[in-house]
Amino acid sequence: MWRARIQQCLLDPLPNGLPPGWRMLLDGLGYTLVISVLAVALGVVLGTVLAVLRMSRRGWLRWPARLYADLIRGTPVLVQLFIVNFIVFASVQADKWLVATIAFGLNSAAYVSEIVRAGIQSVNPGQMDAARSLGMPGALAMREIILPQAFRNILPALGNEFVVLLKETSVVGFIGGMDLMRMGDIIRSMTYEAYVPLLSVAAIYLVLTLGLSALLQRLEGRLGWGRER
Amino acid sequence: MSLALHASVPAGPGPMVKIVDLHVKFGRHEVLKGIHLEVAPREVLSIVGPSGSGKSTLLHCVNRLQTAHRGHIWIEGVDILAPGVDVNRLRRKVGMVFQHFNLFENKTVLDNVILAPVKLGLLPRAAAVARGLDLLRQLGLAAKAQAWPHNLSGGQKQRVAIARALAMDPDLMLFDEPTSALDPEMVKDVLDAMKDLARGGMTMMVVTHEMGFAREVSNRMVFLDEGLIVEDAPPEWFFNRPQNPRTKAFLEKIL
Ligand SMILES: Nc1ncnc2c1ncn2[C@@H]1O[C@H](COP(=O)(O)OP(=O)(O)O)[C@@H](O)[C@H]1O
Ligand SMILES: [Mg+2]
Repeated sequence: MWRARIQQCLLDPLPNGLPPGWRMLLDGLGYTLVISVLAVALGVVLGTVLAVLRMSRRGWLRWPARLYADLIRGTPVLVQLFIVNFIVFASVQADKWLVATIAFGLNSAAYVSEIVRAGIQSVNPGQMDAARSLGMPGALAMREIILPQAFRNILPALGNEFVVLLKETSVVGFIGGMDLMRMGDIIRSMTYEAYVPLLSVAAIYLVLTLGLSALLQRLEGRLGWGRER
Repeated sequence: MSLALHASVPAGPGPMVKIVDLHVKFGRHEVLKGIHLEVAPREVLSIVGPSGSGKSTLLHCVNRLQTAHRGHIWIEGVDILAPGVDVNRLRRKVGMVFQHFNLFENKTVLDNVILAPVKLGLLPRAAAVARGLDLLRQLGLAAKAQAWPHNLSGGQKQRVAIARALAMDPDLMLFDEPTSALDPEMVKDVLDAMKDLARGGMTMMVVTHEMGFAREVSNRMVFLDEGLIVEDAPPEWFFNRPQNPRTKAFLEKIL
């Protein structure tokens, strides 16, 4: 009974000339990983810029960054995805993976900016004093001293952000993205079988998120210059 | 250990540092209430005083880590509180050593020392490395060049901090309680390094509680109390014949 279901959902070619389910899931997984990785990269770059702006002494640099974070964090990611897809990209032809990457990257930036800000504040102020006392301009001190230490301190939080994002991208099917979740759903509708495709999808997400957390923990131990503990 | 240091003596007979009527406020709280002070080239000035009297604040004004509320500071004749002063250029010539070392945690010992000269374009990397290693050797840290700060003892950290400041070839060195965070057995190494520096002709302003060091090494001592300099004398006078009763009381407590 279960073997037949697995055979039908994952191993045999699907109706309408579609490849077998495992192949569909693999493609979907690739899609999910690409948009998650690119979005988190975009989020970290933009989020870092936002964090630095938010800590600026100049008010006119601070408030737009703050407003941005408030807007993003105060609205659902699906609404943002739709806005980017149906408004920003309304008259522009773009691949859905690109639209999704931009939407999730913009979303992630707001959360990452909070994380980076906390990270910057976690660095001992004496580090900045020392850099300044040597005549280093603020931007140089930020780049060489403060941000590397901030990132070391927030690595777990950033890893967690990636895990969150990986799961959140499962809604890109709504705008026509062909991610892991969407593929599972296609298999479900083709085979009228819910258990195998959906549990497979869940298992793959779980392996990814748990594996990632473990990887990050090992990475953290590797950085030679960690704080004394 | 010997630090053959060539503190470049400024042209002319003017003071290295001249401070006139310096006031600093934190909110309503006035911490410095009109400091007048001159430091001559090659002079070693010790600044002593009770905790909270404004010693750190005074040092921080000299390299503008702290902004003054009122007053003037000239360094080598340049009014450093004037608008439009290039603060970073000023700071290159004024080295600072902190109580808690503040070594860059994400850089090795050698990188701590060469970072600023290289990134500020003052020296090519190879020359900075050669000079950095030389400084570390003079401070007895040759073997630690590739170590991470968190693997060093406090005394080693503070000597790295001194090397880092010296790598900028400063004309003036500020020390803010450089031995206060050290275990007693580490204090001597750091004080010896500072003595060598003083003998090499470096101009130094040293906030310290090490009275032995102050007496032996400094040319002049000032006593800072509640934001004012109330005693300013050579060490023999300062210790043997303090004029101000509060200096007397302080010395009785501490000696
Ligand atoms: N950044 C600051 N903000 C507010 N108050 C400060 C700050 N730095 C120092 N103070 C206050 O100024 C006074 C003098 O401090 P400080 O110069 O550190 O004294 P000292 O080094 O002589 O112990 C203290 O009362 C301290 O609490
Ligand atoms: Mg102090």
